[in-house]
Amino acid sequence: MRSDVIIETRDLARYYVLGGEVIKAVDGVSLKVYRGEYLSIVGPSGAGKTTLFNLIGGLDRPTRGKVIIDEVDISELDAYELAWLRCRKIGYIFQTFNLIPTLTALENVALPTIFAGVPRDEGMRKAEMLLKSVGLGDRLNHKPSELSAGQQQRVAIARAIVNDPDIILADEPTGNLDFQTGREIIKLLKELNRKRGVTVIAATHDLKMIEVSDRVVFMRDGRIERIERMGV
Amino acid sequence: MGEKRITFRLSDAFRLGYDNVRRRFNRAFLNVAAIALGIAFFSTLSLTDAILRFNSPKESGLVIEGYQYGLVLVSFVVCAVSITNSMLIAVYERCREIGTMKCLGALDQHVLKLFLAESIILALLGGVLGFGTGFLALVLVCIFMGFRALSIPPSTLLLLLGKVTLLSLALSMLATIYPAYKAAKLDPVEALRYEV
Repeated sequence: MRSDVIIETRDLARYYVLGGEVIKAVDGVSLKVYRGEYLSIVGPSGAGKTTLFNLIGGLDRPTRGKVIIDEVDISELDAYELAWLRCRKIGYIFQTFNLIPTLTALENVALPTIFAGVPRDEGMRKAEMLLKSVGLGDRLNHKPSELSAGQQQRVAIARAIVNDPDIILADEPTGNLDFQTGREIIKLLKELNRKRGVTVIAATHDLKMIEVSDRVVFMRDGRIERIERMGV
Repeated sequence: MGEKRITFRLSDAFRLGYDNVRRRFNRAFLNVAAIALGIAFFSTLSLTDAILRFNSPKESGLVIEGYQYGLVLVSFVVCAVSITNSMLIAVYERCREIGTMKCLGALDQHVLKLFLAESIILALLGGVLGFGTGFLALVLVCIFMGFRALSIPPSTLLLLLGKVTLLSLALSMLATIYPAYKAAKLDPVEALRYEV
């Protein structure tokens, strides 16, 4: 039987040395994230949210502690398995969207299916279906530069879910959007969380974006300050 | 965690590479031009040599000297340095893109494959363009010297086309290996933070 805990961090720490000074970007974070949960991580800039995401996604190696995803300690995974984790298990959404500028919306969404070994036609079909589901059916062949910021983030969301991941890591997904567009993006993420059962972890410094969360983790100086359960 | 299959088919590498060459045409054009110039120089020289051998008696002294091929070699080195430089700039320009691809599941070897596929496309374009330019230059030489360009046997032409294709592939790939390796080894965390 699958555990209810999809992600667990144990005394997780990541220190950097910058100009001879040790920066404790993440400093002893122990956290359990439950399957199907919508978790917001709130904290000011420099609180360690992005570093925590990088550690959970296996993009960065911890100085101390462990990240356990689906009962597997990811420090024991090799480069191949980590790439698989990023491709199939985790979907990323960035503040700056990070779409490939030379590819169309459709090609951007289909990109992760290439690495997943999905046949091209099937990948393109799925990408089209997802773009339609996020309301961009009429923007399939537009380049990122021809889309508004909100539309670009919708493309990024479609890209994040194209390989049916269990987890979505959204790092400040509304940071570059106006309030209304930001609200729509959060609504879309919540919808994915509810309908697909995908676990969403969203970092934000905007308290107005956390009302959809099941729990909110407040971070400061690389540590968890407190965790609040939202009354829904 | 189930079946862990990560792939990057050669056909996908070439398709993405081709898209990139087409949509970043200005940068690609610089590389194609560099290859084409070197190849054109070599083609003209080789074809002129063939024509002189075919049309002119040896005693006339009209043969291509060895040092002229030395100059071709120098031009190849200049081309390679120019391609490496241009590709290195491209790696920094595409830093976030590479970081994003790694975030989406690309392995180092996939990034390497993508850059090498692009280099092969550039080589083929540069090789053909260079051969065409070289042939045109040869026609001018023929008009100037009063020879008929068509007097070169087709087999010689085909052989030379094969030779320049291989040469341009070798030139482009050699010049791209270092930038492609740098791209492949980029740390995704750093790459995603990078601002051009």
